[in-house]
Amino acid sequence: MMTQHASLRWIVSAALAGILAASSAWAAAPVPKSGGVLNAMHREDPPSLSIIEEATVSVNWGVMPCYNNLVMFDPAKSQETPQAIIGDLAEKWEWRDAGKTLAFTLHRGVRWHDGRPFSSADVKYTFDLIREAPGMSVKLRLNPRKLWYSQIQAIDTPDPATVIFRLKRPQPALLMMMASGYSPVYPAHIPPTELRTRCVGTGPYKLREYRPGELIEYVRNPDYFVKGRPYLDGIRFIIIKERGTRIAALQAGRLDIMMPQEGSKNAGEQLKKAVPSMIITLASHDINTNLLMNFKRAPFTDARVRRALSLAIDRRGFIQAVRQGAALMGASLMPRPWGAWGLGPSALAALPGNGDGAAQKTEARRLLAEAGFGPAKPLRVTLSTRGIALYVDMATYVIDQFKQVGVAATLDQVESAVWFAKLARGDYELGANQTGMGADDPDVTFYENYACGSQRNYSQYCNPEVDRMFDAQSQEPDQTKRQAMVAEIQKRLELDAARPIFAWDLDYFAMWPYVHGFVPHNNVYNNGRLQDVWMSK
Amino acid sequence: MRGFVAHRLGLAAVTLAGMSIVIFVLLRIAPGSIVDLLFSSAGYVDPAEKQQITHELLLDRPIPVQYAQWAGALLHGDLGKSYRYGLPAARLIGPRVPITVELAVMGMAVALLVGLPTGIVSATRQNTAADYGLRIFSLAGLSMPAFWLGMLIILMLVRVFGWIPPMLYVPVRENPGLHLMQFLFPALAVGYRSAALINRMTRSSMLEVLREDYVRTGRAKGLAGRVVVYRHALRNALLPVVTVVGTEFAFLIGGLVVTETVFNLPGVARFLVEAILWRDYPVVQNLVMLIAIVVVLSNLAVDLLYARLDPRVRYT
Repeated sequence: MMTQHASLRWIVSAALAGILAASSAWAAAPVPKSGGVLNAMHREDPPSLSIIEEATVSVNWGVMPCYNNLVMFDPAKSQETPQAIIGDLAEKWEWRDAGKTLAFTLHRGVRWHDGRPFSSADVKYTFDLIREAPGMSVKLRLNPRKLWYSQIQAIDTPDPATVIFRLKRPQPALLMMMASGYSPVYPAHIPPTELRTRCVGTGPYKLREYRPGELIEYVRNPDYFVKGRPYLDGIRFIIIKERGTRIAALQAGRLDIMMPQEGSKNAGEQLKKAVPSMIITLASHDINTNLLMNFKRAPFTDARVRRALSLAIDRRGFIQAVRQGAALMGASLMPRPWGAWGLGPSALAALPGNGDGAAQKTEARRLLAEAGFGPAKPLRVTLSTRGIALYVDMATYVIDQFKQVGVAATLDQVESAVWFAKLARGDYELGANQTGMGADDPDVTFYENYACGSQRNYSQYCNPEVDRMFDAQSQEPDQTKRQAMVAEIQKRLELDAARPIFAWDLDYFAMWPYVHGFVPHNNVYNNGRLQDVWMSK
Repeated sequence: MRGFVAHRLGLAAVTLAGMSIVIFVLLRIAPGSIVDLLFSSAGYVDPAEKQQITHELLLDRPIPVQYAQWAGALLHGDLGKSYRYGLPAARLIGPRVPITVELAVMGMAVALLVGLPTGIVSATRQNTAADYGLRIFSLAGLSMPAFWLGMLIILMLVRVFGWIPPMLYVPVRENPGLHLMQFLFPALAVGYRSAALINRMTRSSMLEVLREDYVRTGRAKGLAGRVVVYRHALRNALLPVVTVVGTEFAFLIGGLVVTETVFNLPGVARFLVEAILWRDYPVVQNLVMLIAIVVVLSNLAVDLLYARLDPRVRYT
């Protein structure tokens, strides 16, 4: 059996090899060929077709081909960083006024799929809609990312090809959020309610048919503003609910490409064994597994109890036992080499749960005894989680770890229908949870999940001092300085047990060798445009 | 006979009315609603927005009012609008019904083609190697869940032939051969269990009948064994089998969920589960009512068949 270090080394090497292979494969790729229809895997019906209103990869993967952003992450680069941002509807952009103004020059001659011309008014409408700007007559039914654009003070459109974002304060991360798959530009002439069931974008593919529960089908947009794109005649996202059937369909050639986040280690190995020519690429999800502790409920109001529970969970053991080695240890931002902001091994080793398991459990027992819990008076808690195997597996592991430090935990399986409502009400003690990030950026992670009053800050952790640290890093234009500030915040969040992170999952992404032009990214939400994908069969 | 049919139809109407109330109330007392789920997919909850959507979907009205609206619309053929998709429920349910019915009919055909002959063979060759073999075969069928068998079939096909049926529904007019292949394997998966049940029922019923005096008399008169078995014994032995076939067919209509999921067939059974998970009340209510109607009509059909098969049975 591989040691944990050997396993980690293997994953890092495989990751680097994957990144290199993907880059070199891209560089050495043969001349693209037009034509063909891509059969892409899809795991479920999207809750709606409105990307802006949803927060699941099931919408982005399946709807992104219809739209464009202002900017996007270069599809050819697996790591999403500020340097990987390229223009989409924006031809160029420029920061002005010491980072308080961001001006975009848009492509001309772009048309919506219904033939209407695209202009700067559509961009203003979209971002005003999301940030719920004063005077907007329409409103989104659900608006999960309003917070992303809360620093926008005003949006000016001096002419149809220019958009100027005026900010309340500098926010270098704004471009990262605009490049996310969650930030498409919507048509101002179509009510957002209609975009839940149909799709009118400027993107490389036009929606041909949406059969709920079966299929999302696109055809090539002949008027696409990027000359020579897309290569494919169309895309069929085939919805297959059963995981075993999805993998069998890919293996049998009924599907050409996997859906991001669907490649477990077992599936990857099975596919490679059955079809040696299948291309399997190790990639990250930008999704972590974590423990929620309700800061408003005793005894989790006691920092010693929170620290003890975080210490009790052996992260290495979790990765080996629950994820079969297909995950990495990390703090609140995606670990390297996948992410740009994650803590290094030495910093991580000093954090609760990442060091020597036995020593940390001893420390956990000591802290619990200090807080008044021990064999005579054991701490009894209820651990809630979604009634889905992925969640129940992690909760079971956590209960076992708690037992080893004398904490008696009861599992409360909650139906998905009420999971988030229960968390938002604060109607839980502990929660075994998963959290995905819309982009690998500290602003996205910190404000959504840890800031005082944020709707998705389910543990209700609130530390005004840490909030000030969030604001400080958010305004810092110097990347090196910002890195250091972000590292400090990550350590602080783990020490406060704000939302202890167990691991960051990895994806064994699979596609047939005749599919070209698709490089799995380190984030599942942002790489679904597919305009550069082509097939050589 | 007419009186009997009218009486049964009246009872069916009362049963369905009762069912409609049960379905409606049970759905609403289940924890969570479509509104919770909409927020769940977006990963957050805003109480003000939640209240607004609850109002938009008319879910803030008293349950009796909601029921009266649904029942009234249903009587006028209006199935309402899906909460989840914002589309007419009839448009979503309509194309799925024939798929499930076809699968159920094919599954039942497999069950009858396999279950009846094997049951007869088992009974006429009681305690022989053939009987033992068929009993093992039927016990395996009863013990094996259809979804597991379905998954085994998929894995076997992909492993041995590198092929599985299409993952998108192929209408019969488009490609009859591929259409048949798409339904054959799931029909085998669901039909096996029913075949096992029919086999056991036929065997035990036949064994009972074969020991009757009139069968012995027939044999004593010199009738050929085949004539005794197929013309005299089988007809009487079929009565309990007909009951099983009727209930199995009704069960198949509502119980194809996993098979449809494993073979990715867009039928009503799979759609019903999705709708339940999403608390899409208009879709769930109408689909469950549809299944209830099928069950009631199946039972009625079984009762009527009794009279046809056994002249001693008379209805007043």
